Amino acid sequence: MNPLLMSILLIVALAIFGRTMVQRIQLLMALEPAHRTDRIMDRIKNVAIIALGQKRLVGRKKEFASGLMHAFIFWGFCVLLIRSIMLYGEGFVEGFQLPLFNENFLLGYLYIGLKDIMEGIVLVMAAYAIFRRAVIKPERLHNTWEAYFVLCMIVTLMVSDLLLDGARYNLITLHNNPHNLDFFNNIRYGHEFIWTPVSVAAASLISPLGADATGYILMAMFWLHIITQLTFLNFLPLGKHFHVITSLPNVFLKSLGYPHEKTKVLDLENEAAWEDESLGMNHIHQLTWKQGLDLYTCTECGRCKEVCPAFSTDKPLNLYDFNMDLKHELLDNAGRVIQRKKLALALANEPDEAKKEEIKAQMAGLKSEKALVGDVIQEDTLWACTTCRACEEVCPVTIEHVPRIIAMRQGQTLMAEAYPKELNTALKGLERNGNPWGIGYDKRADWAEGLGVKLMAEDSDVDYLLWVGCAGSFDDRTKKVSVSLVKILQKAGINFAILGTEEKCTGDFARRAGNEMMYQMMAQENIETLNAYKVKKIIAACPHCLNTLKHEYPQLGGNYEVVHHTEFIEGLVRSGKIKLNKTLEGALTYHDPCYLGRYNSVYDQPRSLLSAVSKDGFKELDRHGNESFCCGAGGARMWLEETIGKRINLARAEEIAGKDVATVAVGCPFCLTMVEDGMKELGREEDIKTQDIAELVAKNLA
Amino acid sequence: MKILTTVKKVVDVELNIHVKDGAIVEDGLQYVINAWDENAVEAAVQLKEKNNAETTLVSLGGGDNADIIRKCYAMGIDEGIHVDDPALAKADSAVYANVLKKVVEKGGYDLVITGKQAQDTDSGQTGIMLAEALGYPCVSNVVSIDVLDDTHIKVSRLGDSGTEIIELALPGVITVSDSINEPRLPAMRGIMMAKKKKIDSMDLAGLGISGAEAGSNALKSEVVEFMASKTRKAGRKFEGDAAKITAEVVGLLATEAKVF
Amino acid sequence: MAKVLVIADIKQGVLKGSTLELLSKARAIGAETAVVAIGNNISSLAADLAKAGSDTQYIADDAGLDLFSAGPYASCVVDAAKQSNADMIWFGFSEGGKAVAPRVAAQLGAACATEITDVTLTNGGIEIVRPAIANKVMQRVKVNTKQLVAVVRAGAFQAVEGNTGKENVVKLAIPAADLKAVIKEIVSDATGEIDLADADIVVSVGRGAKDQAGVNLVKELANDLKAGFGSSRAMVDGGFMAHNKQVGQTGKIVAPTLYMAMGISGAIQHLAGMNGSKVILAVNKDPEAPIFNVADYGIVGDLFEVVPILREELKKIRK
Repeated sequence: MNPLLMSILLIVALAIFGRTMVQRIQLLMALEPAHRTDRIMDRIKNVAIIALGQKRLVGRKKEFASGLMHAFIFWGFCVLLIRSIMLYGEGFVEGFQLPLFNENFLLGYLYIGLKDIMEGIVLVMAAYAIFRRAVIKPERLHNTWEAYFVLCMIVTLMVSDLLLDGARYNLITLHNNPHNLDFFNNIRYGHEFIWTPVSVAAASLISPLGADATGYILMAMFWLHIITQLTFLNFLPLGKHFHVITSLPNVFLKSLGYPHEKTKVLDLENEAAWEDESLGMNHIHQLTWKQGLDLYTCTECGRCKEVCPAFSTDKPLNLYDFNMDLKHELLDNAGRVIQRKKLALALANEPDEAKKEEIKAQMAGLKSEKALVGDVIQEDTLWACTTCRACEEVCPVTIEHVPRIIAMRQGQTLMAEAYPKELNTALKGLERNGNPWGIGYDKRADWAEGLGVKLMAEDSDVDYLLWVGCAGSFDDRTKKVSVSLVKILQKAGINFAILGTEEKCTGDFARRAGNEMMYQMMAQENIETLNAYKVKKIIAACPHCLNTLKHEYPQLGGNYEVVHHTEFIEGLVRSGKIKLNKTLEGALTYHDPCYLGRYNSVYDQPRSLLSAVSKDGFKELDRHGNESFCCGAGGARMWLEETIGKRINLARAEEIAGKDVATVAVGCPFCLTMVEDGMKELGREEDIKTQDIAELVAKNLA
Repeated sequence: MKILTTVKKVVDVELNIHVKDGAIVEDGLQYVINAWDENAVEAAVQLKEKNNAETTLVSLGGGDNADIIRKCYAMGIDEGIHVDDPALAKADSAVYANVLKKVVEKGGYDLVITGKQAQDTDSGQTGIMLAEALGYPCVSNVVSIDVLDDTHIKVSRLGDSGTEIIELALPGVITVSDSINEPRLPAMRGIMMAKKKKIDSMDLAGLGISGAEAGSNALKSEVVEFMASKTRKAGRKFEGDAAKITAEVVGLLATEAKVF
Repeated sequence: MAKVLVIADIKQGVLKGSTLELLSKARAIGAETAVVAIGNNISSLAADLAKAGSDTQYIADDAGLDLFSAGPYASCVVDAAKQSNADMIWFGFSEGGKAVAPRVAAQLGAACATEITDVTLTNGGIEIVRPAIANKVMQRVKVNTKQLVAVVRAGAFQAVEGNTGKENVVKLAIPAADLKAVIKEIVSDATGEIDLADADIVVSVGRGAKDQAGVNLVKELANDLKAGFGSSRAMVDGGFMAHNKQVGQTGKIVAPTLYMAMGISGAIQHLAGMNGSKVILAVNKDPEAPIFNVADYGIVGDLFEVVPILREELKKIRK
């Protein structure tokens, strides 16, 4: 068409784009390291399923329609990438055709057909998207001008390309091709326009126009498309549509092996860390580059907000704002962060002490004007989180929200000494007697009296260690679950023992509250005990214990095979060691614990057991499985009063009570307490029984 | 203002205490800082933060008390004195008061804050006896402290008829109730710094007290034997129709328990 | 013969029950008895003090002694102790007693024991029994000095009526006020209600009462019985009951003849405050509540259902 114009446009657009991208990448490189380049094949698989397959949009029952809408826009763009190359080529050389995608190959025809239909679909989807935003107005969406602007650009791109081809069609078929335009015409596959019904339909819209007018339209549409596309490209890094570029890498770099980045083990003895305030996250430059990429990639869809138990009960934890506030803080301080990194590198190579102090002083001067916790993120926001991971599970671009919260809590606890002092009683209890209630450690095995349970101290040559946990040892209600568990294991003839008074709290809640000190103390003591007994296999009665023992203790030298009691019991049933009777009366439902489901992917085994005992049938709650609604106790919130908004456990109890069941099963002592308390508050504790799966199994053993 | 707090190492009262052959079974016991002394330490640290006071702690006996003393350092106490001596093994409140008197005189403190009682003895005498020995005014069971000026503080005390507001002239002694404050959890940074702080350790001679002044001859009373506490046994539990069982119980209260 | 000096427990011009209990015990161990009474406008109590079992009454009656002040009160006791040549000086269990006893002991050079539950005179001297380590153990303690100053645990000694003593009043010199610890005011918590520490019957309300309506329901039971009305910590924390109504380790220790725990679960801290009661009756919905481990009579039921029935039945019985 016009090589000079094409060149100028491309050079200018790409230069600007390049500059923006370099700035964005430079900023990421100035952040803290993260290791995400292992297991390449698994990462590629994730990209295929989550990104390319749009699994979290199309694979989700809720909002299937809007999920499909976005999927098609995305797939449309993927398909149109090749078309774009064709058009740029055409801008330089008329009649430019790509190898393999030209008229000599079926592929070429298939492609232009696909491209044609996709453009039609994308146009419809984009129109639907605008309609949805403007008219239906779903609550989670933020109706910014940017959203509409981009949707309009998409519409423009589709319309311009369709009219471009429409104009071509008219010129070729109606006006006898005065400019001698190229088109596909293969003996075997036929005329190009047989394959492009949508373009032909578009052509009919402008068929009244004469050859000259049509020719102008052709030109106009071509350059409109190019310019719109190059504008769009440059617009991407500036807002939420950056995800168009960053989402595939972000999904590629998603955490593997554990749902999100494991909490860092802080070296509390490290003087330097205290000095530059890098224990926990205290400053924006302490984000890892992956967390920075997360912030770039947020599409502002609001799904995280929607599923958050804190937000839906009116706590000030708005994850959309959380992400945006951090992103703005990061971008506002881009210059400072990059400069600071340069100085940090210089510091590392500087031998002279005096010069070192100078550099450190300069670095200190590069802090943001705003306090990360206090100005950018409010304290109430930070402490409202129950770490349930519902946000992470639903995020279509796999952003990891929770580790940032934990890191900030670490900073608050260790450096700012600002954390909810309500936690002190529980923390003191941990320190002194190894349990948050502060009950004498010597009573930890009292629950097992008379049950014939072995202590590791008596005989450590057992197949399994039953890790009872603090609730199972000290809480009157949960002790009944421990007793049920013992009954099942003994019936199955399992050779197991408990640590008894040697068991201490795993430290889970301390870690979630950011108190690394208390956590490490508990962990190290427990690991020493476990390793001394050469423990290999552990059955955990509580999902929080399960999570810490299995995934966090290895960071400190404790490596064990850990399963939850529901996994183990299901295994017993499968291998025939125990048999169950279908004698549980009344409809039954199951509340998936966050730390069992979303953290450890255990969804099926509990259901299998419940189906095996239920006489009158099992019903799923609306929010179940990986979309289960938190009971409210995680993230150390069990030990904190809920003073803002509605109580989370009450909200969940209402949901369960609306399901018309006689029993709600749980798999976690926190859930047991919270759900049961919720039922009591609703006055339904008589007709809806809250039971742990172990209790239900024990009651229905053959 | 110079403040001295006393800190005693006591057995953790959350544990089961077993008695065998007239003595307490030591096996399995753990020792912690006396809860009321934690309140005293917290009160001292709050006065340091609000009124710029200098704070010192003193601990008597207990063997290796370093962990307890460092915990108090981490809470904010500036200096620590540990007086240990075999002669203190069987000390009573009067002996402790005598030893503490020497510490107070040596240091010239304006205010001595002790917990109102120790969790092992539950006597509640030492602070008051110390005041008597020094001739200082004393208020016990204090629930709030206000510094009026260099020579006077205003305290509230939980008495029998209500809360007593008392103006205390310094130098003076107060013993504090657990209602006075919620002792802080030492922060990590405090704990790190506490590790490096010195503890001024000495025996009785180092303090200038003879063994006779503190030894067994000085004991005004001594424990001869420990016995298990009588635990109350469960009586009868009545379940069923409310009207029936209530009537039955009331009848028993009259005929069996002879309360009515 | 041993000589016991009992410090009379006087509150708002009324002689409290502990005085009779302590004097009864003194008589029971065969000792001579005397009392010391300190306060303002209390001289008229001389007859009651004699009736309670004292043979001599040391009285310090002055306007300056109207409000409790540990220093002057201790001086009076020391004065009486020296005049009476007492071997043992006993205080009833009160904040005043706990504050004064150690001063008296220090001034007399005597041994001091807090919360004694028993006292015996042996050949060697005096021996007492007292609890220690949060009531988990008991100690038998040998007194090495000639004199013993003791604070007696609430309800440890049994009151025995009818052992009237002699009226023999000795006026004590009035000590100077303590200028170094000046009492400015007392913010009274008196509500005209029955003193928990003194009541023969105490009815306490716990979380099972749920709210003000439930508290009022239980209060009516207390009123019926003219009983002291107490509370568990939960109801104080919840704002339903005043702070000074809390029965428990950090509140009031009571040892009435009958303690009725209504809707109280029986946490260890609460038990510590009422374990010394002669008879315990508990009403609770939860059959597993720890209170049933110490209750002599336990009714498993909803207090909203049981309390009205209880009131009816008690009315019948007490006619």
